[in-house]
Amino acid sequence: MTHVVLESCIRCKYTDCVDVCPVDCFREGPNYLVIDPDECIDCAVCIPECPVNAILPEEDVPQDQMQFIKLNAELSRSWPSITKRKPALPDADEWADKKNKLSELKR
Amino acid sequence: MEPNLNPEVADTARSHDGPIETDAVIVGAGPVGLFQVFELGLLEIKAHIIDSLAYAGGQCIELYPDKPIYDIPAVPVCTGKELTDNLLKQIEPFGATFHLGQEVTEVQKQADGRFRVATNKGTTFLTKTVFIAGGVGSFQPRTLKVDGLDKFLDSQLHYRVRNPAQFAGKDLVIVGGGDSALDWALNFVEDTPHKANSVILVHRRDGFRAAPASVHKMRELCEAMHMQFLVGQVTGFDEQDGRLTSIKVTGGDAVTRSVPLDMLLVFFGLSPKLGPIAEWGLNIDRKQVVVDTEKFETSTPGIFAVGDINTYPGKKKLILSGFHEAALAAFGASPYVFPEKRVLLQYTTTSPKLHKVLGVESPVFD
Repeated sequence: MTHVVLESCIRCKYTDCVDVCPVDCFREGPNYLVIDPDECIDCAVCIPECPVNAILPEEDVPQDQMQFIKLNAELSRSWPSITKRKPALPDADEWADKKNKLSELKR
Repeated sequence: MEPNLNPEVADTARSHDGPIETDAVIVGAGPVGLFQVFELGLLEIKAHIIDSLAYAGGQCIELYPDKPIYDIPAVPVCTGKELTDNLLKQIEPFGATFHLGQEVTEVQKQADGRFRVATNKGTTFLTKTVFIAGGVGSFQPRTLKVDGLDKFLDSQLHYRVRNPAQFAGKDLVIVGGGDSALDWALNFVEDTPHKANSVILVHRRDGFRAAPASVHKMRELCEAMHMQFLVGQVTGFDEQDGRLTSIKVTGGDAVTRSVPLDMLLVFFGLSPKLGPIAEWGLNIDRKQVVVDTEKFETSTPGIFAVGDINTYPGKKKLILSGFHEAALAAFGASPYVFPEKRVLLQYTTTSPKLHKVLGVESPVFD
């Protein structure tokens, strides 16, 4: 049981989600956030916070983004915890509506 | 936190020969499970309550004991710990029996209409009703995520200390920065029959969640060369002939060092996992138990679900919603326990009958 951060987050990283998480399960990379699936309790309060609708419950992840379930699990192992909101990436708004951003992901 | 189970609790469970016969079994001793005792108690329904943790309180104690809660009606602010303590006080008159440190593994309907409930510690119940107040699942130790390390579980990799003697004279690596990690590190350095040969504490940063006094003691022991502290994360391991021989610790300086060991103890705290509830034949939607909003009864008559574990149109996971659900579920359960009785709503302000069950005197108004 977990929620998953999808592609829309890449190069935006608005971080509105991390303030509301009751269990501090977000992990931060250079230009993307992930949810640690072992920490998330499926409370769903982060979903409406995201300005680019990047967060969904595992069950609702669309077929073409299934790889993000694995990616969240993998990256959450090494990325540090983020528990306080911070400014989004400077060009976040330009990237907000872009699709196919996976190649932009920095690890 | 290492559950320190009161031996009396385990003994009570063992002293019962055969199943415990009761009116109600509550699965989960979080705030809603505790309040379920109260609501059942007012209707004179006796309850047994089971939790996998060694203490009551559920998420309130395990996830946010010190965080303030502001949305409990008529309580402007209280912490998770205070809420739990107050609920325990509130349910005292009803003498519910607690079965802590055990997980319900089985719920089965019997030919006579009752349910057989069994735990992993061998406690069994025959009950007329079941209340699932399981929250987001039972709390299990967080694991160290290093591929392939699992195979050493319980031989050389441990997430809890059941028997300190098995670590006596061994070279230990203890991972974590909370009270459990520090307490056990200090404990294995001390002069006891289970004193380790060597203790190395590994934590990802040089800052601790553990009590400052323990951290201070640990630093003193390090200076006196009685133990060692390394900043870093476990990133790999070496094995020989099927035995774990050393772990690889990558430090803040990005250098990976090999640390030889006999035993690896990991204390990363607990996180909730939905256990076997999914296998009890109930109607489940997205890992939550579907209930009606009249009685909060599941698809199996006689089994109710309250609090974060249930789902219905408009469900909000709030403690106060769980309290409401517990009240209606208790009324819904009454016909199973007292088929002949007409249950009327009474108020604790005025009902002499409720005063009696609460063990208080009926006030006299002039």
